[in-house]
Amino acid sequence: MSEVIELLSYPFAYRALIAGSLISVCASVLGVILVLKHYSLIGHGLSEIGFASLSLSSALSVQPMYIAAPSVITASFVIMYVSRKYRTSGDTAIAIASSAALALGIVISSVSGTASNMSSYLFGSVLAVSEADLVVAVILSVIVIASFILLYNRLFLITYSEDYARSLGINTAMYQLIVSILTALVVVAGMRITGTLLISGVIILPAVSAKIVARGFRSLVIISGIVSFVAFILGLIMSFVINIPAGAVVILSNVAILILMKIFAGAKS
Amino acid sequence: MTERLRIKDAVIKYGDNPAVNGVSLTAGAGEMIFITGANGSGKSTLTKGIAGLLPLSSGTLVRTPRMSYVPQYEEADRDFPARAGEIVLTGTQRPGKLFHTRNDRNQAESAMNALGIYDLADREIRTLSGGQLRRVFLARAICGKPELLLLDEPCAGLDAHSHEVLFSILRGMMSEGCAVVMVTHDISDIDGIPEGRVIRISGGRIAGYE
Ligand SMILES: Nc1ncnc2c1ncn2[C@@H]1O[C@H](COP(=O)(O)OP(=O)(O)OP(=O)(O)O)[C@@H](O)[C@H]1O
Ligand SMILES: [Mg+2]
Repeated sequence: MSEVIELLSYPFAYRALIAGSLISVCASVLGVILVLKHYSLIGHGLSEIGFASLSLSSALSVQPMYIAAPSVITASFVIMYVSRKYRTSGDTAIAIASSAALALGIVISSVSGTASNMSSYLFGSVLAVSEADLVVAVILSVIVIASFILLYNRLFLITYSEDYARSLGINTAMYQLIVSILTALVVVAGMRITGTLLISGVIILPAVSAKIVARGFRSLVIISGIVSFVAFILGLIMSFVINIPAGAVVILSNVAILILMKIFAGAKS
Repeated sequence: MTERLRIKDAVIKYGDNPAVNGVSLTAGAGEMIFITGANGSGKSTLTKGIAGLLPLSSGTLVRTPRMSYVPQYEEADRDFPARAGEIVLTGTQRPGKLFHTRNDRNQAESAMNALGIYDLADREIRTLSGGQLRRVFLARAICGKPELLLLDEPCAGLDAHSHEVLFSILRGMMSEGCAVVMVTHDISDIDGIPEGRVIRISGGRIAGYE
């Protein structure tokens, strides 16, 4: 406990704590929609593309965000479009695109001689959270949470039944677009902390856990956010204590929560 | 009489196959139209076209934007984590309207009351029976106070009592100017409903009026 308190006196730990928990909560709230809509693979595809972008930006020595943000947002449109159009074969397309992006990222890093940065992209680093990243995380979470509150009824309607929403004359493609953009932004902002390999787990896992115990949509969203927050804090603390990349411990905390919820739900029924 | 729906020479195709092939019909305020026909005759395809879920390859469709639709099958997962009351309330949403008002909640409650599912409002939909779930979808459609109500096999899974309740609700809505278009393959569903016009379709075309 004293270590934890001591830790907070370091500015980097403090930044990681705030930025990471905000992004975790945003990711998990969007994750609810993605899981229920069977778009679970999107986060995965986007993060591999994020990895390729980070490799490219470091090879060209430009600010990572200048390449990562536009390419991940573009990719999110393409993935949404493909999975809407081809339903099941969308999975295959995402799997192909993401492994190609990962491979490309490795090639770029190796050829340009920046391969030493690679592991920080893949596994993330809480030390990497700068003042600017913190500001980005705060702005992003305000946007995500505000959109979610403002569009809550609509997102619920569309997530439950897109056809019904369309029959009411609602422009469902526009909402899909909003969700894609927000997901892309969360991936870009979050992948530096948790690593590109693991950000998709931060998006998906809390929603899967919450789905086990939630009763109704509202409680699903809230529980998902809480689970993600708790898993992040646990992960961050443990990563400092045992000196392991935070992303990995955050994911393992999420998995542990998922298993506990399964057991808890099994015992109840 | 105000027209709520006018379709002229509608053709709706899956790939190259027309499942609806030159159907014309109109429905005015307070009118009830039954569409019957065998399995695969194109009834659901026609309703999806009217609902705006399938494009017309040719022909024209003019209808009121205030329409509610009860699909034959709901595409959502059966274990979707939502309560019945949450689902019903979505029926009051309209383009450009993001928040539910007090009035919306009242309408959702009275629709559930009318259909005898008020007690189920807090139940998760995965725990409902088939007939209970159908009544949830009916309540969702009627609580939006539509001017055109489009029902695809609404009687499937309903017991005799719920069937009677449904028709008395429909009569109430018609008296307030709602047009009702109801699809059913089973003529006995609409036996003894004198106010309805019956259109029989076969192979995607109108085969007769009864
Ligand atoms: N998604 C689809 N893709 C291709 N063909 C389809 C599709 N949906 C329906 N069809 C075909 O279109 C025709 C009309 O189908 P439709 O569902 O409109 O029939 P229906 O009259 O509603 O039948 P039922 O009484 O069984 O509900 C059928 O021949 C069906 O096989
Ligand atoms: Mg049908």
